[in-house]
Amino acid sequence: MPGSIASFIIGVSSIFLAYYLAAVGHGLMEKSGVLNLAIDGVFTLGVAVAFAISVYTFSVPLATFIAMIVAAMFGLMLAFITTKLPISHGAAGLSTMFLGYGLAALVGLPARQLQINGRSLATIQPSLGGTWVWFYVVAFAVAVGIWYLVEKTKIGAAIRAAGENPASAEALGVNVLAVRLFASGVGYALIGIGAAVFELAYTQVWSQGAGMGYGWIAFAISLSAGRHPILIIISAMIFAVLDKYRFLIAAIYNLPPDVGKMLPFVAAIAAMIIFMVTPLRRKLAPPKSLGKIYFREERSV
Amino acid sequence: MAAEANNAKPTFLSPPQEGKEPIVSLRGITKRFPGVIALDHIDLDIYPGTVHALLGENGAGKSTLVKVLYGIYTPDEGEIIINGRSTRLTSPADAISTGIVMVSQSPQIIDTLTVAENIILGLEKYNHFVPVTKVYKTIREESKRVGIKIEPGIEVWRLSYTQKQLVEILRAILLGAKVLLLDEAITYLPIEEKKRFYKFIRQFADEGGTVVLITHKIYEAMDVADKITVLRRGKVAGHLDRKEATIEKIRALMFGERSAEITYERLPTAQPEPNTVLEVKDLWVMGDFGGYAVQGVSLEVKEGEVLGIAGVAGNGQKELIQAIMRLRPVIKGKIMYNGEDITRKTTYYLRINGVGYIPDLPAKYGVSIENSIIENIAVLPVYSRGIINWDKIRELTLKLIKEFEIKTPSPDTPVKFLSGGNIMKVLVARELTVATNLLVAYNPTRALDEATAIKVRKIIKDKVLKNKVSAIIASEDLDEIFQISDRIAVMNSGKIVGVFPADKAKREEIEHLMVM
Ligand SMILES: Nc1ncnc2c1ncn2[C@@H]1O[C@H](COP(=O)(O)OP(=O)(O)O)[C@@H](O)[C@H]1O
Ligand SMILES: [Mg+2]
Repeated sequence: MPGSIASFIIGVSSIFLAYYLAAVGHGLMEKSGVLNLAIDGVFTLGVAVAFAISVYTFSVPLATFIAMIVAAMFGLMLAFITTKLPISHGAAGLSTMFLGYGLAALVGLPARQLQINGRSLATIQPSLGGTWVWFYVVAFAVAVGIWYLVEKTKIGAAIRAAGENPASAEALGVNVLAVRLFASGVGYALIGIGAAVFELAYTQVWSQGAGMGYGWIAFAISLSAGRHPILIIISAMIFAVLDKYRFLIAAIYNLPPDVGKMLPFVAAIAAMIIFMVTPLRRKLAPPKSLGKIYFREERSV
Repeated sequence: MAAEANNAKPTFLSPPQEGKEPIVSLRGITKRFPGVIALDHIDLDIYPGTVHALLGENGAGKSTLVKVLYGIYTPDEGEIIINGRSTRLTSPADAISTGIVMVSQSPQIIDTLTVAENIILGLEKYNHFVPVTKVYKTIREESKRVGIKIEPGIEVWRLSYTQKQLVEILRAILLGAKVLLLDEAITYLPIEEKKRFYKFIRQFADEGGTVVLITHKIYEAMDVADKITVLRRGKVAGHLDRKEATIEKIRALMFGERSAEITYERLPTAQPEPNTVLEVKDLWVMGDFGGYAVQGVSLEVKEGEVLGIAGVAGNGQKELIQAIMRLRPVIKGKIMYNGEDITRKTTYYLRINGVGYIPDLPAKYGVSIENSIIENIAVLPVYSRGIINWDKIRELTLKLIKEFEIKTPSPDTPVKFLSGGNIMKVLVARELTVATNLLVAYNPTRALDEATAIKVRKIIKDKVLKNKVSAIIASEDLDEIFQISDRIAVMNSGKIVGVFPADKAKREEIEHLMVM
């Protein structure tokens, strides 16, 4: 029995870390008021980039790094256009999502061709040499770090101010654009690393569309935990287990496989309800100006 | 324009300022918004160590002017000279670093952040990654020095309106403000706090600070200011020295011939009928942040009377009014309208049964600013059930535009292109038309200048007297409460703490109950 618990903890470590990083990055960005509907597209692109770079260079660190940089660029772009121009966050996000899907195919397919022709993919094995322990350590360290940043520091206050009321934040001395660039850049860097972990440590295969839908799950994880870096650990773990073992669970309880696929989302709704009926509600409420267009000279009635 | 500025020059050379250079000068500042010139070549000198009042009717451009000075708006033309140097202010952060800080009527500090978090955002000497607790000590010390009791770690939503404004002022001091821009910042404070504030302002100026004070309470400006500048339709109508300023002169500059209509006499007392139109029994309503905002309120309004609800902002008036209008759930208690229990009825039901409603922040909650005047009138259920008769609505709109002197190019103009005062008139005109039985209002003239506010009150009272309409009006403006009410109920901390016939009510007693 202890053996199976250990193998269980090792088994979910990679998908847990991937989900955790993507969800916490997403939450950080949204705290600053930028609605992030591009996450699934950029996650999918991050997966393809990590795969391609790994095939080309056979270096896991380099693949992770490039995925992070590419994703961060998208974060900066989204923050810039939605803050500087009166563009709908929804339209900007969804367009970027489709852009991400397209680019992912463009980046991944040539590398996939190379792989078919015999090039191999550098991966990272959670079970080897206690790597999985580091996965958990990284997740917890990021959790504490982001929590401290958002809740305790000056820039954290500025991020929350920009998300609550950008016009007031500006009047209080915040440079809303700079703060949103920071939150979105860092947020998407984390999403990019999450995508790399997903590809190189969890699935370790690539075909067109790999990673699609997992960005949305990260979105749901973040939402269900009220974007809170510590609570996201719990949500990410639940989703990781459900993703890894959904077919097993479905088999044990004799459920159709499609019901198995639905389980993570049922869990998301349940988690949201649980958080929202507790006193945590206030801390976990969405930023008031999330997704709202911000004109600097608009009449503030 | 230039001549006016020149004429005013000598007044700036009165003894205390002799030899001093202005700390802030504006030259030819112009700001246009779609359809209006909010500021039209403004020239203004503000001297260190003075309180400089900025007066003017609604839409005169006062707020726009201080927003330009605080870097929120970028002027289309003109020059800002600070300490003799031509300066471009592109953001509030810019203004703060030159020592200019603004406090406005609605607190800018953010509810979900703590006091310290709100304050540290503008403090340049702290880098981005310092823990916010680093400023706690400074905040505690400074707040003790200026006599404000504020815990730096408390979240702002827990504070009252007054406390929030105190935090705003404290913030300005901590930012090292040399020029304090107060845009109606003090106007809505309870009287005792107001006095403390004015004392502080005087002291701040006497110690060499500079204050630009906007208020529509002319007497207060005359009390505290060294200089008065009156704006009218985006232009400087005149500069006055404190010594030469009289209320008549100021009103004449502000309103022109309309100034003759201004009076704070009580409007005629109504002779109510015996029957009750609105009755509230032991009402309990939640506030926005949990907790009961309305705690067991009971009151009644007779046919043909105005019940005024006095109180400092944030004592449950908003929630009470919203509950009556069925815009907020009732947890416990009953609301009766014409003898019928409406506690579980909808707003729609009230609206088709002769209830008019003027909410606070009318431009936000009372009209749809993207739509035209006609559409904003047609949208009410009394007109829009089934098929809208546009010809009839147009006729009605034209009549109201004339009757209320709404300044608009046409009835089809989107409301957002009107000035604040005219937006308000659209709303009041519409609501008085549908209020055949009861008018429910919250700060109905808050955004209006003296002349317009008094006019609106007269129109409301007229309707009450002539058509036996009833009205319940909550207002934070005691002048308004006294002028329009037949009975005055005082609300404090969610409870009614006293009810008085208005002709016998004593102002001091009511003020005391409001802040008790
Ligand atoms: N952000 C804005 N967008 C469009 N019009 C505006 C804006 N701010 C003010 N105005 C218009 O500019 C004029 C001056 O407004 P304001 O400075 O607020 O006047 P005041 O503070 O003296 O009442 C008004 O006609 C108002 O409608
Ligand atoms: Mg104003």
